[in-house]
Amino acid sequence: MEPILSVQNLNKYYGDQVGCKNMNMTLYPGEVVGVVGESGSGKTTFINSISGNLNPDSGKILINKDNEIINFLEISESLKRLLIRTELAFVHQNPRDGLRLDVSAGGNISERLMSIGQRNYGNIRQTIFKWLDKVEIDKSRVDDFPRTFSGGMLQRLQIAKNLVTSPKIIFMDEPTGGLDVSVQAKILDLLRKLVRELNLSVVIVSHDLAVIRLLADKIIVMKNGEAVESGLCDQVLDDPQHSYTQLLVSSVLQV
Amino acid sequence: MNNVFKFKNKKANVVAQDEIYNFAYLDENTKRMIRRALIKALCIPGYQVPFSSREMPMPYGWGTGGVQVTSSCLTTDDVLKVIDQGADDTTNAVSIRNFFKKTANIETTETTGDASIIQTRHRIPENQLNEKQILVYQVPIPEPLAFLEPRYQETKKMHALSEYGIMHVKLYEDITKNGHIETAYAYPVKTNDRYIMDPSPIPKFDNPKMNNNPAIQLFGAGREQRIYAIPPYTEVTSLDFEDYPFDPSKAPHKCSICGSNDSFLDEIITDDDGNRSFICSDTNYCNQRMKDK
Repeated sequence: MEPILSVQNLNKYYGDQVGCKNMNMTLYPGEVVGVVGESGSGKTTFINSISGNLNPDSGKILINKDNEIINFLEISESLKRLLIRTELAFVHQNPRDGLRLDVSAGGNISERLMSIGQRNYGNIRQTIFKWLDKVEIDKSRVDDFPRTFSGGMLQRLQIAKNLVTSPKIIFMDEPTGGLDVSVQAKILDLLRKLVRELNLSVVIVSHDLAVIRLLADKIIVMKNGEAVESGLCDQVLDDPQHSYTQLLVSSVLQV
Repeated sequence: MNNVFKFKNKKANVVAQDEIYNFAYLDENTKRMIRRALIKALCIPGYQVPFSSREMPMPYGWGTGGVQVTSSCLTTDDVLKVIDQGADDTTNAVSIRNFFKKTANIETTETTGDASIIQTRHRIPENQLNEKQILVYQVPIPEPLAFLEPRYQETKKMHALSEYGIMHVKLYEDITKNGHIETAYAYPVKTNDRYIMDPSPIPKFDNPKMNNNPAIQLFGAGREQRIYAIPPYTEVTSLDFEDYPFDPSKAPHKCSICGSNDSFLDEIITDDDGNRSFICSDTNYCNQRMKDK
């Protein structure tokens, strides 16, 4: 099987400061890769660099689109943006960054559909209802504005908005950050269901090891902008080799 | 600069124009700059060309963009008509007409068919225009995406890459809220199957008139410093959904003066008992129909 996304020797600097350095990653279809590390370790820089939100300084990002390998950093701006709206999706930590707050919930979900040329109101409406159902938002809320939604609902709405065009690769930056534990559990449950159901390939960034353990197949541990350890999720978390990973694993509260 | 003065002196011999002003108020260099923007705009239908808008002796919002475009197009042989919401006799129309009478000493008219340049605010004349005419629109906000995407850099990119999904989000919201597309003026159009364009706040009733029009249509936004254009015989389509097609609706009434069934109507409240009547917004069209009777 060919990887759907492969990152090679990626570097991103902010002036003299390291954003992330010498990063490598392979993501296979249907796989979830978790990126963990403490605050300031370069997780967000890394995910922004590989999703088109930031321009990395050097390295290679190869995306497999229908058996055609696309060099993400060398394609034209228009093709890049087309890929971002169709093949890729980005779930922000703060759902308000990924949603239009002055547009109804349905309107938010429909934007990607209409940007790829759907022009039938009835059909669009049907798709919206299907997705509200999938992310467990009541259908009666379809015409309400996101600002009337709770934090957990906003996050679920953002997920629906992103997944509506069936993207192949999903990037998630702390999707459960800032939510209370029961809502977190609900979102995680939903994500796990969607990943299985739709065979999604996901890169997920989190500082929360429990989230990664639950969702991810593989893990990358970052410190000071570099990957210090990577491998199968269970293997790394059960038998951490690098001292920083050991610290990270041992600092999880055992309840 | 020498040329400019020569030109001015030569003109002064031909017509008895107010000598304080250069012909049609603007200096020749400015007019040349605007004409270049106009030519570029005509070459790329619907594309907004930036231009260095000048301070005009009228406030922004009163047609400074339209006036600058008209000024750059005027020649001594031109006949100018100015309308405001279809009417020749409202403040904005009268003062702009007087402005050009004074600064260019050109002939003016109220008859649509006699005019070679028509400056308009918010209407397209009812009578069919011809190949020898130029229609100049006054535009308040040229960017059709402005209310959806506040970042100007981003809207430029969206235009460049034809990323227009968000425009339909606006129409989607309309249908969801009202059961039909509620936008009744400044209804977005696609020009020459490429750029999405704000047709200035004309009623959507006028949108079909822009399509395949033999006249040149020029749009000037003074405060926003943008010029755009539709060349003659260009396809202009109003955005819609397959199951909610564009409808250029009008009030279901007749003009109470001329009885016209198919012109755009203004609603006039006639007393404080709630009585109202409807009359043509295009005064010249209405008057002519009365004369013909």
